[in-house]
Amino acid sequence: MFKNFVAAFIILIPAIILRADRQNMPNLREESNIYQKVYDAPLRLIDGEQARLHQMAGKKPLVLVLLFTRCTGVCYPYLGQLKKQFEQIRQVENEPFQVLAVSFDPRDTQEDMQAMAGAFSLQSDSLWQFAVTDSIEALTKSLGFTALWNEELQQFEHDAILIGLNQQAYITRKLIGFRSNAEIGQLLSSIHNVFSPTFRLPNPNMRFACFDYDPATGRNKPGIGLVIIALPAVLTLLLLFAIWLRTRNKSSNSFR
Amino acid sequence: METTRFNKITSLWIITVLVLFVVAITLGIIMRLNQSELITVSPITFYTDMTVHGLTMIGIWFVAGMAAVNFIMERYVKTSHGVNVFAYVMTVVGVLLLWASTFFGRFHAGWTFLYPLPFKVMWKSWATPTFYFSLAVLGVGWLVWCLSLVSSLLKKYSLKEVFAWQHFSKNPKTETPPFVLIAMISLVGIITCLLAAVILLVLTFAEYYSKGSFVNDALLMKNLTYFFGHTIANEMLYLGLAILYELFSEISGRPKWKTTWYVALAWNFTLIFILTAFFHHLYMDFVQPEGFQIIGQIASYSASLPAAGVTVFSVIVAVYRTKINWSLANLLFFLGVTGWVIGGIGAVIDATISNNFILHNTLWVPAHFHTYNALGNVLFSLAFFQWFSAKYGGGSQRWSKVVLWLLLIGGIGFLTAFYIGGADSIPRRYSSYPEVFATAKTLAAFGALFATVYLSGVLVFFVNISKRCLKILLQRS
Amino acid sequence: MQYSILMLFFVLAALLVGIFLYVFLSSRQSNGQLTGMANALQKRFWFVLILFSILAIFASVTIPKSPYFLFSGEQPSKVVYVAARQFYYVMSYQAIDPASPTGESSIELNTNELVEFRVTSLDVNHGFAIYSPHNELIAQTQAMPGYVNRLRWKFSEPGLYTVYCLEYCGMAHQAMKTTITVK
Repeated sequence: MFKNFVAAFIILIPAIILRADRQNMPNLREESNIYQKVYDAPLRLIDGEQARLHQMAGKKPLVLVLLFTRCTGVCYPYLGQLKKQFEQIRQVENEPFQVLAVSFDPRDTQEDMQAMAGAFSLQSDSLWQFAVTDSIEALTKSLGFTALWNEELQQFEHDAILIGLNQQAYITRKLIGFRSNAEIGQLLSSIHNVFSPTFRLPNPNMRFACFDYDPATGRNKPGIGLVIIALPAVLTLLLLFAIWLRTRNKSSNSFR
Repeated sequence: METTRFNKITSLWIITVLVLFVVAITLGIIMRLNQSELITVSPITFYTDMTVHGLTMIGIWFVAGMAAVNFIMERYVKTSHGVNVFAYVMTVVGVLLLWASTFFGRFHAGWTFLYPLPFKVMWKSWATPTFYFSLAVLGVGWLVWCLSLVSSLLKKYSLKEVFAWQHFSKNPKTETPPFVLIAMISLVGIITCLLAAVILLVLTFAEYYSKGSFVNDALLMKNLTYFFGHTIANEMLYLGLAILYELFSEISGRPKWKTTWYVALAWNFTLIFILTAFFHHLYMDFVQPEGFQIIGQIASYSASLPAAGVTVFSVIVAVYRTKINWSLANLLFFLGVTGWVIGGIGAVIDATISNNFILHNTLWVPAHFHTYNALGNVLFSLAFFQWFSAKYGGGSQRWSKVVLWLLLIGGIGFLTAFYIGGADSIPRRYSSYPEVFATAKTLAAFGALFATVYLSGVLVFFVNISKRCLKILLQRS
Repeated sequence: MQYSILMLFFVLAALLVGIFLYVFLSSRQSNGQLTGMANALQKRFWFVLILFSILAIFASVTIPKSPYFLFSGEQPSKVVYVAARQFYYVMSYQAIDPASPTGESSIELNTNELVEFRVTSLDVNHGFAIYSPHNELIAQTQAMPGYVNRLRWKFSEPGLYTVYCLEYCGMAHQAMKTTITVK
């Protein structure tokens, strides 16, 4: 009779296996310059104000986005995606932070950045700030960020990148490419100096992780892997119940 | 009542366990001798021996506990002789496959076979699937045995009775014997951890046969491995305690122990603690969620409360200023409890996360679990072997003092070398020690010497018990 | 610290041996004094209560000392990336490419400087256990494939520290080690 349970169990496992876990491969350029202080670049913001980078970070930790307005590559799609993501993230994120988009193109002016912000209706969004700087080289060097000029295409070749700066202006985390809300949440945790003793390296072939990072609480939430750990106890209870049901109808013998 | 059939199969179990015990101790002595550099074997030989030593030891003391529990259970319910024999056959086949994969296939991923090490094939390619298959064979045999025993219990006792819940009310109408309660609790725990092993094996085989398209999560696999491994090692000790609750008073010439509300409470709670304590094996995996680490420490600490407050205290109450018919069997039980408690102290110390930070995977770890076994659970099983073989095979207890002193002196000396080694930060599972660990080789030599003393005690015991068991085995029905 | 743990253990073990010996001997007295234990249930209750209190105290004192969040409020001055593999460590101040792991020939750190070790494995589970120049284990974490463990540590004493692999990883496990120089 418990053959039925064995069969049910065997059917259950492939059903779990079918859950895929697609993530990007780890990018080593994310690991450069961590815990180094960013250059205190002078900034000219799109509202006309001037500020220094450390001063801004001191007010609220920053998520730095590096782009340029004459970009025909990733910058605009990236910005559009980030806008959507931060709209969702700001609803759950309790700690204050600021997203700062800075151009690394010497041709970009405050008006250019204003137009870029306007294209996404971000010019008066309190979460977003756009700026240019005269110290491009010093800034990008301290960030470990490189943009290669392609003469033929008249374009910079560069990473789509988010860089987290905590209030002391230290680089805490980088994320290259289009990333999930959960990962951006991890970056936000790091700029709020929330320490996580570990992080998982993405692997497209790895199924059921034990836990997933939940940006809302900054903690690890149970993943399907944990369900699997609970499975033996659940199955045992089911088996026990099944055996008891089967033997229930037999009359009990008196004590010997 | 016990039939001659059960006498025979139990005798067969006893002889088999003792033979394998002698083999496994010898492998252990070879390991310590190699570490002391009094002999030299290749690292692969050392690690192969280590793999066999660990798995054989856990396996035999588990089946010893099961065989004893099955035998005693016949006093209360009718159990299946066929399943008992089936489990024996599967155990022997499993052990042979294990030995094939290790001694011939040179599989040496360790007795914890921690994923993904078995996949990094540095041995014959057929050894990895053979090894996992041997585990599957053992697991099937043992799972069927457990389910069969649980079925037998539930045929007679209701679900409430088998867990002794009626003892929580005043004047319960029926009494659940302590043996039944503890056996049931232990069997439930064992079924759970064997199912964890099933899942582990399913995931392993899935990856093995997927040729790289499916990769397991190393953290999940480690959790499953220790869920299975820790729990089965603990449960085999509790099987020994089930026997103790049944036989200690009987052998001592005292009234039978009864289940009270606090015995019922303690053992029901024990089930929960036992199933959650395994997290203490992952303290140094910072990848584990912190909640699980804390659960590990709290569950490990808590498990000592019912153990000390109920079982150990009951043994003390039973003996203190009481006339006891001391004989080899109940002396072994009594000494086993002492060893178990001391091993428990070493365990609680290591189960403290801040201590584990500097003790994890040093010799402190084998120190405490060898205490639990060599001077704890093993003595419980030897007590049963002694009682059983004397009762059904006849014979005197002439050598009892010698056996006891050899086991004690050998065991204490052997274990002390481990504890000091742990305090000296000497790593475990090293085939040889770096020169900078000045005390390592000497401690290993002492360990080997005292283990040999222990082995001689075991050999005397083995000869006496096996003679009687062979007599039982060859009896005409 | 290991020494004090060992002493505690030996003291408790000796105490327990004494108790069990006393109990055993008490059962071998002449018949007249064999009265068993008076008020056993009451004594049991007190015993459990005392044991529970001791364990609760130990738990509440030691759990906050767990190594997961050591120095979590401070800014590390340096990050050392560690990739363990059978049977050596690749250590670098830059992130390590799993496809072609390369590291520094030696790692040099300063005393009283907060270092963060980011430890992973390129193949099987390994350990990353830091031993002081006196061969005492002072800090460790595991190296698990697919994960990065972060261990923050401040070295207070200059000298040569050895790192041993403490998680069994195969036939050269006992030879797997590296060193860190602290100035």
